[in-house]
Amino acid sequence: MTDPVASAPTQSPAAAAPAPAPSQPAMQPSSQQNLPIRDSKPAKVPAQKDKQQKGKDAAPAAAAVGADAPTDGGTKALTPAELKKKAKEEKAARRAKEKLEREQGGAGAAGGSAPGGGQGRPPATPKKDAAGGGASQKGQKAPPPRRGSGPGTVTQTPAVEQKKKKDDKKVAVFGHLYGQQRRTTIAGAGKEVHPAVLALGLQLRDYVVCGSSARCVATLLAFKRVIESYDTPPNNSLSRHLTTVLSHQITYLSTCRPLSISQGNAIRQLKLTISSIDPSTPEASAKATLCEFIDGYIREKITLADQVIARSAAQKIQDGDVIVTFAGSSIVKQTLLQAHSEGKRFRVSIIDSRPLFEGKNLARALANAGLDVQYSLMHGVSHAMKDATKVFLGAHAMMSNGRLYSRVGTALVAMSAKERAGGVEVPVIVCCETVKFTDRVALDSIVVNEIADADELISNQLPQQVTGLADPAAFTAAPVDPKKGGKPAPKEPTPAPSASSRAPSTSPLTEWKDTSNLQLLNIMYDVTPAEYVDMVVTEMGSLPPSAVPIVHRMSTNM
Amino acid sequence: MATMTGSSAAAGAKSFDIVATYNELLRSDPDLTMPIAAIEALVLLLTKEPSSTISETLDLLEKSTAHLKKAIPNPIGLSAGTDLFQRYLITTLQRPGQLGPAGDFKAIRTHLLSNGRLFIRRAKESREKIATFGRGFIRDGCTVLTNGGSRAVASLLQKAADDEGGPSAVRFRVIYVLSSFKNADEPSGEPEGMETVRALRAKGVPVSTIPESAVAYALGKTDMVIVGAEGVVENGGIVSRMGTYQIGLLAKAIGKPFYVVAESHKFVRLYPLGQYDLPINQHVIDFKSDDDITEQKEESATPNTNGNQQIELPLCDSVDFTPPYLISALITDSGVLTPSAVSEELIKIWF
Repeated sequence: MTDPVASAPTQSPAAAAPAPAPSQPAMQPSSQQNLPIRDSKPAKVPAQKDKQQKGKDAAPAAAAVGADAPTDGGTKALTPAELKKKAKEEKAARRAKEKLEREQGGAGAAGGSAPGGGQGRPPATPKKDAAGGGASQKGQKAPPPRRGSGPGTVTQTPAVEQKKKKDDKKVAVFGHLYGQQRRTTIAGAGKEVHPAVLALGLQLRDYVVCGSSARCVATLLAFKRVIESYDTPPNNSLSRHLTTVLSHQITYLSTCRPLSISQGNAIRQLKLTISSIDPSTPEASAKATLCEFIDGYIREKITLADQVIARSAAQKIQDGDVIVTFAGSSIVKQTLLQAHSEGKRFRVSIIDSRPLFEGKNLARALANAGLDVQYSLMHGVSHAMKDATKVFLGAHAMMSNGRLYSRVGTALVAMSAKERAGGVEVPVIVCCETVKFTDRVALDSIVVNEIADADELISNQLPQQVTGLADPAAFTAAPVDPKKGGKPAPKEPTPAPSASSRAPSTSPLTEWKDTSNLQLLNIMYDVTPAEYVDMVVTEMGSLPPSAVPIVHRMSTNM
Repeated sequence: MATMTGSSAAAGAKSFDIVATYNELLRSDPDLTMPIAAIEALVLLLTKEPSSTISETLDLLEKSTAHLKKAIPNPIGLSAGTDLFQRYLITTLQRPGQLGPAGDFKAIRTHLLSNGRLFIRRAKESREKIATFGRGFIRDGCTVLTNGGSRAVASLLQKAADDEGGPSAVRFRVIYVLSSFKNADEPSGEPEGMETVRALRAKGVPVSTIPESAVAYALGKTDMVIVGAEGVVENGGIVSRMGTYQIGLLAKAIGKPFYVVAESHKFVRLYPLGQYDLPINQHVIDFKSDDDITEQKEESATPNTNGNQQIELPLCDSVDFTPPYLISALITDSGVLTPSAVSEELIKIWF
């Protein structure tokens, strides 16, 4: 848990600047190119769109019905099935428009608009074709479906179609997760947003403050600064006004990175405390109470909880164990260090994954503490699991159906631990504070998830080459190698500044936004089924995953 | 510190030997379960030992519990009782009012002791309650497979047999799996459970006894498996007589329901991850070569005086752990529970 205010403000603007630079120019022209397609739609639709943008709701549904009515009136009596189809079409069109509008309204999300519009449409068109009769007129005018187009849709030139494909950089199944683009600068943030929160937002965005509990603590500390510098304006009561001030901060934070479950839980508790303050309390003492509450919350729910969890989870580690863990969970680190300090002899095998490489810090911390550490990436999981005796996992959240919502890849690790083909079944232990429990339910990792910038997947350095291919980029990098002490092939590429500047030019995927038929998906989390989790260690004791809702209910009611 | 507690425990043992009391209680009443015997021993301890403050009482309780746990080879069942009693005491003492921390300690003490006895009586009655809950599971014409010497299972089966006046109210058959180990407590050396077999036969229930090796063979003729438990752990699994786990595995494989009968005072705050994660020192798997055997013979001649080590569990009393996914339901005195409901019950008791 790094102190957010101290560590990163110097780092974050520097890191923030280069990322948006390549993305923006790539997306801007594409949205313009897409415009002609939209214009090729029937004249009615753009008109409706304009109306909608001016007058917001109300209009579109009525307008759509009004427009369709005359044509249908000619064919007369519609069967219920046809009526149903029509209603569906209207709904789809309306949704597409609403989405378009939303994305156009979003600050700095110019690139997002075109694919959004394209996405809503295709489901509607095939239905129109199938409807036949009076609907066939509309079918002709409508643009062809994006993929798998039938023989009947040859009305448009292939060139236009290609452009459209190029624009669609959102993976279809996860389309609903690409909301607003993440904020890249503090420009445009409201004046109500406190500087501490501004800085924290960028740190969250850049994964400087990363991990569910760290984000929760950092947010609470930033809000403490907000409360400290808060003055109730005249004719307002603190308990009413402070919540609105805080909600500005929260909105800003959520545009930087979607809020974690723990952040949400902490904010809910804080707001509850604020609203329960008696309006007659003097401001100074009310603020003191709130700051005390925040300190107490962090101490009880996270700091002390972590200690309790580490102690009870460490009891499960025995001499000779081989512990497998995934990515870098702070609570798992604490557990392993606790067990080590108790004099237990065991090995740790860390499995890590791109693009965040959270396990590297864990590996270093554990190795420095004197533990035996093996570090491998995700593709080595089956190998690492061969001699594993226990799996320890951190959590982003525990869902009410007992499922574990954690860094993407966790489910794979848990599953390979439960793979019975190897002849052993390795217990999977999750360490999780109750602040991460939620009453929400997750059945898969599609409905609820977080999509990170796909550029993170490409901007990674390649291992340095000694024997150069005829690659110009490799030659420019060649002089760097001798300086590094002539290491033939370092296992982990050291984050040298020269390498990172060179990387974009060498990666074959740099131009992915202009490459047709190519989509990049960078999801953050996945959901591990409850059957793959043997035990959840919390500060309230060890539980089976099925007990999560009970404990959540109890910890929120208290 | 360690030496101090050791000496005080020894001093406590001199005036009142809790281990001897516990063993005596278990011997004198065959219907007594381990957790209840532990609670009864603790109540006796509190009546005999003079204590004048709350913290003194709790301290005494804690020390004797630790001493008792150390002296008994399998403290799982016992610890369910002692933990429950301790928890009960603490919640009673924390309650505001006359009996709270502000009240007169003598009144508190008498209240505690009378309530402790009430607690024991209720726990003894729970077997009766379980039988009423579980009766519905045994229907006409079904065959029940069971094992071990669980009194809860015995009372459930007997209740089903003489239901609604007279024998053969419910017509069912029992396949009794008898352990190959000789029962150390029985002078005749007959295996555990023979008493129940005789009682059931006397009531007109056809009983067949089979060895453990015939379980898989017999399961095809069985409708359900009902077993007892020494302790029910937090994830809903059970710690029970050796051999229960394999019956559970076989029942799961053949697709027969596997029911566990256990009193709710047997719920333990323990979370074993597998067979080898139990806090018991038992050497079921013991690798030996010829050299080891001769060496052991020489060693047994000189008595081992290493008192610090945990006492080893004799082979006939060894236990195993049946994970929750093998259990269809737990029939307890607080109702018929799924394994996942056990942790809910435990959390209710502890928080």
